[in-house]
Amino acid sequence: MATCTCGEGRPGPSGKLRVRVELLQGTLDMLILKALSGGPLHGYGVARWLQFVTDGALLVEEGSLYPALHRLARKGQVQAEWGISEHNRRAKFYTLTPAGRQQLQTEARGWSDLSRVIARVMDAEPAPSGSG
Amino acid sequence: MGGTGRDPLGPGSLRWRTGRERPEDEVAEEFAHHLDSLRHDLVAQGMSPDEARVEAFRRFGNVERLSRETEMIDRDAIGRRRRSERVGAFFRELRLSARALRRSPGFSVAAVLTLGLGLGATTAIYALLDAVVLRPLPYPEAERLVQVGSLLPGLGADQRWGMSEAGYYHFREHARAFESLGMMSTMEVTVTGDFEATRVRAGVVTASLFQVLGVTPALGRAFQDEEEREDGPRTAILGWDYWQTRFGGEPVVGRTIEVFGAPREIVGVMGEGVHLPTQRVDLWLPQVTDPARSPVNYHWVSAVGRLRSGVDIEAAAAEAGHLTGRFTTVFPEAYSDGFIEEYGFSTYVSSLHREVVGPTGRTLWVLLGSVSLVLVIAVANVANLFLVRVEARRREVAVRGALGADRNDLALHFLGESALVAAGALAVAFAFALVLIRALVATAPPGFPRLDQVGITSGSVVATLLAALVVAVGFGFGPLLRSTPSGVPEGGSRFTTSRGRRAVRGAFVVTQTALAVVLLAAAGLMLQSHRHLRAVEPGFDPAGAVTFQLSIPSASYPSWTSTFEFHRELIARIEALPGVATAGITTGLPPVTPSGCAALAFEDRPMQPGEQPPCESGAMASPDLFRTLGMRISGTPSGWTEMATGSAGVVVTRAFADRFWPGQDPIGKGLRGNGDTPPFYRVVGVVEGVRAHGIDEPPSRIVYFPLLPIEGAPLWVPPRSVHVVVRSEGPPPITLVPALRGVVAALDPDIAVASPRTMGEVVAGSEAMTRRSFLLVILAVAGSMALLLSAIGLFGVISYMVAQRRQELGIRLALGADGRRVRGLVVRQSMTLVAVGLVLGMACALVGTRTLTSLLFEVSPTDPLTLGAVSLVLLGTAALASWLPARRASRIDPMRAMRTE
Repeated sequence: MATCTCGEGRPGPSGKLRVRVELLQGTLDMLILKALSGGPLHGYGVARWLQFVTDGALLVEEGSLYPALHRLARKGQVQAEWGISEHNRRAKFYTLTPAGRQQLQTEARGWSDLSRVIARVMDAEPAPSGSG
Repeated sequence: MGGTGRDPLGPGSLRWRTGRERPEDEVAEEFAHHLDSLRHDLVAQGMSPDEARVEAFRRFGNVERLSRETEMIDRDAIGRRRRSERVGAFFRELRLSARALRRSPGFSVAAVLTLGLGLGATTAIYALLDAVVLRPLPYPEAERLVQVGSLLPGLGADQRWGMSEAGYYHFREHARAFESLGMMSTMEVTVTGDFEATRVRAGVVTASLFQVLGVTPALGRAFQDEEEREDGPRTAILGWDYWQTRFGGEPVVGRTIEVFGAPREIVGVMGEGVHLPTQRVDLWLPQVTDPARSPVNYHWVSAVGRLRSGVDIEAAAAEAGHLTGRFTTVFPEAYSDGFIEEYGFSTYVSSLHREVVGPTGRTLWVLLGSVSLVLVIAVANVANLFLVRVEARRREVAVRGALGADRNDLALHFLGESALVAAGALAVAFAFALVLIRALVATAPPGFPRLDQVGITSGSVVATLLAALVVAVGFGFGPLLRSTPSGVPEGGSRFTTSRGRRAVRGAFVVTQTALAVVLLAAAGLMLQSHRHLRAVEPGFDPAGAVTFQLSIPSASYPSWTSTFEFHRELIARIEALPGVATAGITTGLPPVTPSGCAALAFEDRPMQPGEQPPCESGAMASPDLFRTLGMRISGTPSGWTEMATGSAGVVVTRAFADRFWPGQDPIGKGLRGNGDTPPFYRVVGVVEGVRAHGIDEPPSRIVYFPLLPIEGAPLWVPPRSVHVVVRSEGPPPITLVPALRGVVAALDPDIAVASPRTMGEVVAGSEAMTRRSFLLVILAVAGSMALLLSAIGLFGVISYMVAQRRQELGIRLALGADGRRVRGLVVRQSMTLVAVGLVLGMACALVGTRTLTSLLFEVSPTDPLTLGAVSLVLLGTAALASWLPARRASRIDPMRAMRTE
């Protein structure tokens, strides 16, 4: 279920080389919550927004958004409602609930802490071998 | 969840609402939307439709797997939501129910107490019955254990006798039905050793008894056959508790203790909790017997057998009958055809469990029956309360129904109410049961078997919980069935209530009244019996006398003379104590003289050949016994000097004299036991109306022999186990006990004073009294509970009836009926119900109280006085219970009554 979407190292539609990105467990949830923080979206909208902001670098298997969305609904972090899409079709729209907004904040903070720490490690001088 | 839409999984609200939630449809629609949109965008970016379709599916992933996963999440979410809704609804209704109950504290308290007391009483009695009667005896395969003994209907229809020693050995050798056969009896013994003398109950058993019971000592070994012989090794086995308390659980096997002053080697310690089937014992001693002893027609052996597996009691009894038939040929010196014919001698085989439980089982079943009746009354009462309550709330129910509450909500509400009542009742029930059990165990008559095992067991807890559950569900749904919100209020006018409902309530009142009558009648009869018993003139004066028991060892007092001298010295020293008026000794203390009889010969009625000698009770007595017991005596009992010189006479009871010398003066007549040739003992005194075998028995026929036999007419064995009676000169007799202990210890430190009690306690504690007082207490409690409950029930029903007929009664009053007439109307109506219940109850009582017949004393089960009194009490209570509502009825203000609806 953790959606591991790996770029394949070949030129994408934009012509750039795709970066390989591994999604950590639970990270997709955070991305979805982030996507919804701007307002209600249907599942397809979430997929398109993710593609847009990552410039296609994050190639998610789009269908895997749905189990994640429904799980978030079960947890009460998003709320689903049928509505009419821009193409005048029935589509299910997802809205962030207060609990979801809370969750997004928590996770964003955790993520930035984590990435800062990791960045510091990666920027540091490696220890000389033999210690001395 | 929640928020704007009520459903977390999204609206489609109509579908949710109708309850048809189909996750697969929703997911399919959502996926289709995604794929179509993606394809559409790809085409817009320049792909061909076919390429776009393939690319869309590729980017989306495995549709089938993903939709399955998503649907599962949805189903799970739906389930969770439903569950939490249901729980939420339950608690919401429970809160409503609790509030409703709080609003009517009278109803709640009455219902909880009524049910709680009823359930509690039933639980307590059930616990008692379970421990005492239902549980099997604590031995392996206990259903194979039987008692074997003799019946001599010619001597007493209901009495059971032991086997003769000869018969026992004959059975051991020839009976095929038994795997093993053993003897058991108990006796109080004095144990000395490295510590002060203690008195303990010993089980005296044959080596084979351990095989019969299937028990083995926890330490050491069991008895061996040679220990049964007169010249065999003297051994003893300690009971577990005795070992723990007296010897601190130290290694004792091989040590020596003295029993009645004679040393015995401890060869084992019995396992924890192992006792005789009949009694707890602290010490086990081998029974000394001798198969070679010449057969005697003396039935003292209490025999217990273990049936071979597969052999039933009937088969064993048939074989016993066959073997008994051979006694006259095998033991002609002990069993003559005449004896067997005259006394109807036979051998019985009966389940040991039944023999141990005995008449107690019957008593307990009677008790369980009566408390169950109380429970039924309680349940009927509470059911009635619920019904009345539902009736009163019909409008509320109807309104809630009309406002959209569905049947489930209403069911939950009523279920909540009854669940709360049942829970409260359970708490009351267990508390009450614990108290009651303690009280019952404390007041139970002596000899009540297996009381130490009584307690609330998991079984009775489960039974009580089940009963409460049934009650809760019944009361919860009962009202619902009767109050289906079938449209809007039937409550508009209350002129009419359906005949059916009224009949149900009427039936409740009738049933309660009838049950109360049965219980009250039983209690009344027991009370009468008790009163009669207390009024019985026992033939002696218990007030001011104290008694204790004493056993002296045959090792130290081997002969008649040494025994006699001990007793003579003992009485002399006791009578010298300050505060003592007189003292006496006897082997047969009234009213607890053991039954049993000795063959007697009379000087003035020589035996015909083949005739059986009369068999009568005998006891031995010291000179002052009769005065000490306050008996009315004519003639002069022999004194110590006459006894010592072998010239003493006997004292007989008036009943004895009337039987053998009707219309003659018995003084000077000659009789003897243990032989039929001169010399004879002369009758020197007659005591009046002594009830020696029980206060509830007719005056006994007894001969009191002297403590020392006269020359040429030996008695049986020296009286080494005796009751000492001491009459006080003024101080409360029980205060003499320490001084009495001192006298005994000074005379012989190896002898212990056992069970000192006042004579009043002996009488009150005798079986005749306790058997009845125990039952009386319970029946009285049950009866008054029943009376109170039915009064409450009647009060409730009549009050409700009055409330229902407010308008009608108001109109009557407005039209000029006076208060008295209205009151009469109401009272008449309730009294009609009560009268029907009374008649019905009397009919039941006439049948039911017959089970009490054996416990009644000088009262017929149909005693008109008792039944009349019961009827009066009941009618009085009923009149009182309906008077208050009737008065309320007559004070209805017609104007207000008619305006209220």
